[in-house]
Amino acid sequence: MTAPTLFDYKEVVGPEIIGELMILASHVGSRSIKMVNSTAVGGGVAEMLHRIVPLLNDMGVQVKWDVIKADDEFFEITKTFHNALQGQEGYFEEDIFKSYLAYNEKNSHEIDFDEDLIVVHDPQPAALIHWNQDGKNRWVWRCHIDMSHPNPQLWGFLKPYVEQYDAAIFSSALFSPELAIPQYRFYPAIDPLDDKNRELDSSYVDRVLVKYGIPRDKPIVTQISRYDPWKDPVGVVQAFKLAKKYVDCRLLLVGDKAADDPEAEKILERVKAEAGDDPDIHILLFSPSVATEINAFQRASDIILQKSLREGFALTVSEALWKARPVIGGAVGGIPAQIIDGYTGLLVHSVEGASLGIRTLLTQPDLAKRLGENGYQRVKDEFLITKNLKRYLLLLLALDRPREHTIFLK
Amino acid sequence: MGKVFQFLSSASLEKLTGQKAYSLEDLLNLIKTCPDSSIFYHTFSAFLKMLEVHLPYNSDIAIWVSEKLNEKALAERLMAIDLSEYSTIKGLRMRLIEIIENYRGQKPDAFQKIANEPFYLYDIIRVVYLTDKFAYDLESFRELLPTISVYSMYYHYIESRLHTQLQSDDFSTWIEESLNIPDLAKRIRKIDINVYTLKGLRSRIIQLIDEYFKEMGQKGQA
Repeated sequence: MTAPTLFDYKEVVGPEIIGELMILASHVGSRSIKMVNSTAVGGGVAEMLHRIVPLLNDMGVQVKWDVIKADDEFFEITKTFHNALQGQEGYFEEDIFKSYLAYNEKNSHEIDFDEDLIVVHDPQPAALIHWNQDGKNRWVWRCHIDMSHPNPQLWGFLKPYVEQYDAAIFSSALFSPELAIPQYRFYPAIDPLDDKNRELDSSYVDRVLVKYGIPRDKPIVTQISRYDPWKDPVGVVQAFKLAKKYVDCRLLLVGDKAADDPEAEKILERVKAEAGDDPDIHILLFSPSVATEINAFQRASDIILQKSLREGFALTVSEALWKARPVIGGAVGGIPAQIIDGYTGLLVHSVEGASLGIRTLLTQPDLAKRLGENGYQRVKDEFLITKNLKRYLLLLLALDRPREHTIFLK
Repeated sequence: MGKVFQFLSSASLEKLTGQKAYSLEDLLNLIKTCPDSSIFYHTFSAFLKMLEVHLPYNSDIAIWVSEKLNEKALAERLMAIDLSEYSTIKGLRMRLIEIIENYRGQKPDAFQKIANEPFYLYDIIRVVYLTDKFAYDLESFRELLPTISVYSMYYHYIESRLHTQLQSDDFSTWIEESLNIPDLAKRIRKIDINVYTLKGLRSRIIQLIDEYFKEMGQKGQA
């Protein structure tokens, strides 16, 4: 299948929205952007860049994407950086910092930075700017991780590099640290036309359910998440069991297994133990999952849970809402931005709350339908890739006029 | 023939300020000292948070006071501010301060409460741009209304009053001054923006224009 063009999104968001994007793009003109990150495949950032780069090019913005070159040693270091910036404790030897900087310096000389705007994604290439400060272009650091409680030692090392940028972008005010440079908010976004979100034939959905032995004789309640303690899959089973005393339903747990992840195995064992021999609980483990099958599981579900105890942005919520499914989410991380409690879904704080949510939605189908429809609209308004295209165009315009609060384009 | 009406639209880029409030005292200080654009974002821009789904939602500030401080009476008073009455941020800011300070007199204990989750102060950059849609008379205006974006609706009916500093939306001003139809202009100006979504607002304006055409048709026949 060929990748969708900007034109294909007209049917999804409306021609007037695409028309206005094109007007903004005409004001941006042929200005250029370079995206820089650390991997071309795997992970949400690369997935997003694969979509957003061609679409910006469709609008006439000249966008290039470069991936830094490094070996396993560097990625071992940046993996520990990633965890520490999200709050994990630990101490870093000076050699670690030297090595990180050496890789960044080497890449800074190998990549051309001739574009008007350089967008550097995440901590791995964050120091690239240090060797490129001739002031001929603008540099923005796009941080996709939760930096609200970074490891102080590591942040003390990285912050002076980050503050060399013209601006930083975070996914939420919840995730941003204190910085002396302007910060913008870009919500993460889903692509409504990718395999995980596009419309599916109902016959395909049926076949997927048959393939995995999931009968459709009763309502299906689903959580799609890694088997990770913060996603609380054990709590999901407990909430389901409480709810089942009142409403007959099935539970579907779907999760990916990362290679060499012994913790996932332990959690999975606990989930299975909690589930016991209940034939209405279906536990699926993929390595990796197929996007269209995940899409099918969501579309076949009557309720989708994301009962996290701690979260990043949790775009799985937007994926479910996009399919107009009623969603019950833990009130953590980016979930409340997507679920406005009682309007676009239900927010919960406990196993009991999740159980009550399941019972409520299964016995009040009108409410479930309304929450799903409202949630769909909320995603359409805020969490689609077209909104992020607009944000990049606005960023280009705003960086040209750093002191203006209102920019009138003639 | 009156002036041609060119539809404009607007878009916004949200800025994180790093400033937070955990209490009503903090909130009051933020409201007193923040830029006009922050007040705009947390009040007028709130209309944009739900474009098509109606919520009683015209103030981030009121929502935080309600949900995180559980001060429902104060939240209701903040929510009840009719934004259409304000054509300057200065006036709106003073009203917000007045309501919160009055509440201190009535319920001083509320100022001792500390929220678990702070109110995050945002700022905003607005970009206003011309679209390629033009209305020459009421017929063409009516015809174009269903095709403009909700952002264009929002700009002309809600945001522009801050630029023009008029207690009137662009649509009714144009209909009154350029088309010389003051009755219809008055009806459009009187729409309660607090109870409509942007799509609902558009439908209501279309309905008022259709009713006007019908009345004119009946008058013509008589």
